Amino acid sequence: MSLAFHVRARRGDFDLDVAFASPARAIGLVGPSGAGKTTLLQGLAGLTPVKTARLTIDDELVVDTEAGLAPPPHRRSVGYVFQEGRLFPHLQVGTNVGFARPYVADPMSVGDALRLVDLEGFERRWPSTLSGGEMRRAAIARALVARPRLLLLDEPFSGLDHARRAALIPHLLRLREEVPMIVVSHDPRDVEALCQDVVVIAAGRRVS
Amino acid sequence: MKAAAGLTRRGSLIVLFALAVAACSSRQETASPVTVFAAASLTDALGAIAQDYERETGRPIRLSFAASGAVARQVEAGAPADVVILADHPWMDRLQTVGAIRADSRRDLLGNRLVIVAASDATIDGDPLVWLQHTGGRLAVGDPDSVPAGAYAREWLTGRGVWGDLRPLLVMGGDVRAVLAFVARGEAQLGVVYASDARSTQAVRIVLEPPADQQPKIVYPAALTAAASPEAARFLDHLRSPAAAARFRQFGFETLD
Amino acid sequence: MFEPLSPFEIQALALSLRVAAAALIGLLPVALALAWLLARVRFPGRWLVEAFVNMPLVLPPVVTGLVLLSVFGVRGPIGGWLREAFGVTLAFHWTGAALAAGIMALPLVVRPLRLSLEGVDRHLEQAAASLGAPPLHVFLRITLPLAAPGIVAGVLLGFARAFGEFGATITFAGSIPGETQTVPVAIYAALQRADGEPAAIRLAVVSVIVSIAALFVSEWANRRVTRGRSDL
Repeated sequence: MSLAFHVRARRGDFDLDVAFASPARAIGLVGPSGAGKTTLLQGLAGLTPVKTARLTIDDELVVDTEAGLAPPPHRRSVGYVFQEGRLFPHLQVGTNVGFARPYVADPMSVGDALRLVDLEGFERRWPSTLSGGEMRRAAIARALVARPRLLLLDEPFSGLDHARRAALIPHLLRLREEVPMIVVSHDPRDVEALCQDVVVIAAGRRVS
Repeated sequence: MKAAAGLTRRGSLIVLFALAVAACSSRQETASPVTVFAAASLTDALGAIAQDYERETGRPIRLSFAASGAVARQVEAGAPADVVILADHPWMDRLQTVGAIRADSRRDLLGNRLVIVAASDATIDGDPLVWLQHTGGRLAVGDPDSVPAGAYAREWLTGRGVWGDLRPLLVMGGDVRAVLAFVARGEAQLGVVYASDARSTQAVRIVLEPPADQQPKIVYPAALTAAASPEAARFLDHLRSPAAAARFRQFGFETLD
Repeated sequence: MFEPLSPFEIQALALSLRVAAAALIGLLPVALALAWLLARVRFPGRWLVEAFVNMPLVLPPVVTGLVLLSVFGVRGPIGGWLREAFGVTLAFHWTGAALAAGIMALPLVVRPLRLSLEGVDRHLEQAAASLGAPPLHVFLRITLPLAAPGIVAGVLLGFARAFGEFGATITFAGSIPGETQTVPVAIYAALQRADGEPAAIRLAVVSVIVSIAALFVSEWANRRVTRGRSDL
């Protein structure tokens, strides 16, 4: 099993309970707005409080809150790429991408990461000068430098037009082999080209 | 860790800058100064004597003037004074009671006289105090609770039987120099100050000076504080030297032998 | 009146700069901690902390000075202990003037600090954490730099307030030339003298210049810090 998880969370009236397992390397997480996709993703990354969470990556138990195994986000080695990238606006692209280097034993070099996403030479650019697609690719490169065990991509295609979406997909395909990923989208066609398996959720529960 | 290092570098630069400002503004001192806290009426006289002393001995003198009551409270509260000179006995007694001064160093240093002053260009008919009551002006005095000049004024005017009549016309000053300033600026028509104060500015003139038998007994005690240095003792001795006495008389004080 | 400053006035100015700088250096970590507490942490009795922080803003400054005297004076609980244990006296020393100025400036510094901390995008902090940065590094590398414009504004506002502090200073630290006679206190002392008006006016002009300079530096620093960040 590449990936197995079970997350339970509560946000006011909203109740989330989703479990899934798959040998696939890229898993799509699909559902309408408000289904709980972001909550689920952030729960796996440790960025939001949950009732219980269990995560196994490549058959290794990484998180099991009920057993007391709940490392904080900076020790979980789960990469998270936010919608629209969220590069640090006060740092150049190169510093952004290399941000994780001090915290990781064997980080990827900034040059290699930028090359993987076709942003060679962008080190000294400022985030505010990048296009939407470039920002997302830079954010992906940033996450990769930390050599995460799992990559979570929250709506990487939202706000991109068809041409740019098509341009982003080959990069993600290349990454699939390096690291397992969960890709969130509210549009199922986006994940078709990329993901080998799909979880559909609605109102906090799995629908398929 | 370049980003974090850059931040720490910027942060330490700011701290260094601030410390440099602080250091630059320190007084450059070759010898540690003798700090004198004194009654406000001594401002000019002590200023001149301190200048003479610094020139002769190279030892800096730091002067701080306030009403005797304020000085006493500050010294009681730990203010860094070496020598204390006040304008009456009660405040010095208080310091002696709490052990803030060395009783064996206490001496009566100077005397003074009370006068009534008015603005130099004021026209006054007859007895100034009577004139004041007729014209409805104001009389500036020190706050009797903290300014000896005010307490002496109250003593004298009570002795003349006019304190009660004058009470509604009073303006209180925080120290005797403030009283002088009130008169100089025209905020009060008359003021009760020391003869030495009247000489310190052209803006006022003396309009009434009680004869010696009506003057209250004004005396300035001086003492070393409990933690004073040997240099402070030397300065206190200097204040009783003939040279210093001449200076005090020059500024209108009476010296005691 | 337009003569260069006399030694007395230069002394007051130098002392004011030193006192205000010391006050800021001392209060900045406290203000940062309080701003963080109020911006990010939910705890019972929050409103109490807020009220305490804002107190110097609404209390008459002389009352604050009186409180300082009662607590930090040599006969007060903390002042007495400081003297016994370390031989340190704050009342009527420049360090006491710095303490008074710092306390009066605290609410003016906490407010913009807190606002700018609240304005930092949490997602950015979360991104940093997900990249392996422990909480302290997230604070130093992400939160602080992004909050920098507000911090600069707060520090300069605090500096100007500390520079101009009078009521608490004169009550707790007195008016000792070269030790605690800062510019505002010196202006007051000059006005007490019959011939002091020109000196008072010169010092007042100095105060205005310092305030304007603080505003300029604040603007300049703000521009430098936000260079390249057109989205901020």
